Amino acid sequence: MDLRIPIGLFFTLVSVILFATAVLGDASGSTVNAYCATAMLAFGGVMLWLAKRRA
Amino acid sequence: MSLATVDYLILAIYFAFVLGIGWWVKRRVTSSAEFLTSHRSVPVWITSLAFLAANLGAQEVIGMCASGAKYGIMTAHFYWIGAVPAMLFVGVFMMPFYYGSKARSVPEYLKLRFDEKTRTLNAVTFAIMTLFSSGISMYALGILFQLVLGWQFTSSVLLSAAIVLIYTYLGGLTSAIYNEVLQFFLIVLGFAPLAIIAVMKAGGWEGMASRLEPVMTHSWKYIGSASTNPMGVEWFGLVAGLGFVLSFGYWCTDFLVVQRAMAANSMSAARRTPLIAAFPKMMMPFIVILPGIAALALTKAGTGYALPMKNGSYDYDQALMTLMKTYYPSGMLGVGLTALVASFMSGMAGNVTAFNAVFTYDIYGGHIRKNASDAHYLMVGRVTTVVGVALSVATAYLATYYNNINDLLQLIFGFVNAPLFATFLLGMFWRRTTGHGAFYGLMAGTSAAALTHGLTVAEGKGGWIASLQSFPSTMAQNFWIAIYAWSACFLVTLAVSMVTQKKDDAELRGLVYGLTEVPVEEVVWWKRPAPLAAIVGVALLVLNVIFW
Repeated sequence: MDLRIPIGLFFTLVSVILFATAVLGDASGSTVNAYCATAMLAFGGVMLWLAKRRA
Repeated sequence: MSLATVDYLILAIYFAFVLGIGWWVKRRVTSSAEFLTSHRSVPVWITSLAFLAANLGAQEVIGMCASGAKYGIMTAHFYWIGAVPAMLFVGVFMMPFYYGSKARSVPEYLKLRFDEKTRTLNAVTFAIMTLFSSGISMYALGILFQLVLGWQFTSSVLLSAAIVLIYTYLGGLTSAIYNEVLQFFLIVLGFAPLAIIAVMKAGGWEGMASRLEPVMTHSWKYIGSASTNPMGVEWFGLVAGLGFVLSFGYWCTDFLVVQRAMAANSMSAARRTPLIAAFPKMMMPFIVILPGIAALALTKAGTGYALPMKNGSYDYDQALMTLMKTYYPSGMLGVGLTALVASFMSGMAGNVTAFNAVFTYDIYGGHIRKNASDAHYLMVGRVTTVVGVALSVATAYLATYYNNINDLLQLIFGFVNAPLFATFLLGMFWRRTTGHGAFYGLMAGTSAAALTHGLTVAEGKGGWIASLQSFPSTMAQNFWIAIYAWSACFLVTLAVSMVTQKKDDAELRGLVYGLTEVPVEEVVWWKRPAPLAAIVGVALLVLNVIFW
């Protein structure tokens, strides 16, 4: 297995949790969570794409 | 500070992933070489990030943020002067000897180059040092969780140590290295947003500069004299002590980091490992030091954030956690906290896997039971993992004697790594160096370090023999201890080597400059060590000029 797969999955999963927290949680922290979730989703996606491309 | 369910959920997912990686790697581990050295099979992008992450322990993250608040951007010298040049040197000049000699550890290289007694001395001192490093890292984490989160010191330390134990026990060095890559990305993505938020709240670099003393935002300008900067060091002590002796002593000879490069799947990859790692290393001050400087600026600005007080002065060690508490909402707070746990784990796993290899190969295999079966050494490696973690937990309690954990680490490096660099410099580049010279040089270097510590005082530390000189800070004292230790080792090694029998050239082939064929790199020019090092060097110069 390519190491980029667990790394990509981890950050994608965390980004989903952060998006959910941004939407459902306290409004005062939603911007920070949403921005960070976007960055992590992009990073996780790139990792998974690189792993898929190699496979 | 109280955590929400989502924060605990992120921490739990992280634990599941690191254990999962350990479980996944376990299938590959069938020999002691795979468990202790990864069988030289790891791709370069992984060894490069692991090379960096193994050094990125909790004491680094917390300590550098604290030092940022205490000393300002001068703290970046620990990266720009105190790491990157040495990383370039080990990649370009030293890795051909480490990797080419086929030694499985740094002490084993010393045995091949010198003799058994030099190897044993290095193996024993290194084993003790890794346990101390691991214990200090554990202490940093435990005490902070106790202070800020109200968690019990012992239970938080034991939980984290147990996770590290499980995944290193399952997958050995490969598991530690693979997890270090995940931990590296988590540290960057967990702390970078905090740096951005804190600096923005403090009004950007200009806003911070306007609120702080000028010395806090310049790295070189106030270093002409020890009395003009908060670090209490002058340029010679900094460049010679940190930039040369301590830095080269650590990055070029410490098996903890060298082990990652030696796990690479080719000589070319091994040489490029520290060079590639130098790029993110150069940028780490923006993630770990800037938040500390911003914390002080925010405190002075009275914007609602204030550094906690301890005995009438700022408690710098709490800068990182209090910033997270103030600016991270639930969710990102969990990510930040998990990043802190990850930094602790990467540092601890690095120490444990290095301790494993050195104990199994150099102490057990060298003295207790030679020529045993591979299965036996694999079993010893696994048992050593358990023992190493247990001893690390025990040493965590010794760290309570020092209030700045970073200073204690530098002191230890001064005693062990500083003289060792003189040994390697002479051993690798001067074929006349002998085993007796190396051994007595190392003894003299460590003795000189102890003597300097015993005869000088800084912030109430040292001076246990007499107080002949006083330094304005323990950091300055540590730099000078390293300088004296290195010089003593260098001179004694030189003198003893001149009067003792050297090895034949045939025995030194592959171990010494001039008797080792450096492989021609069959890769595109920008992947070759020298051009890569030149690119890093230019970028480093630019950073120093910008923050002059």
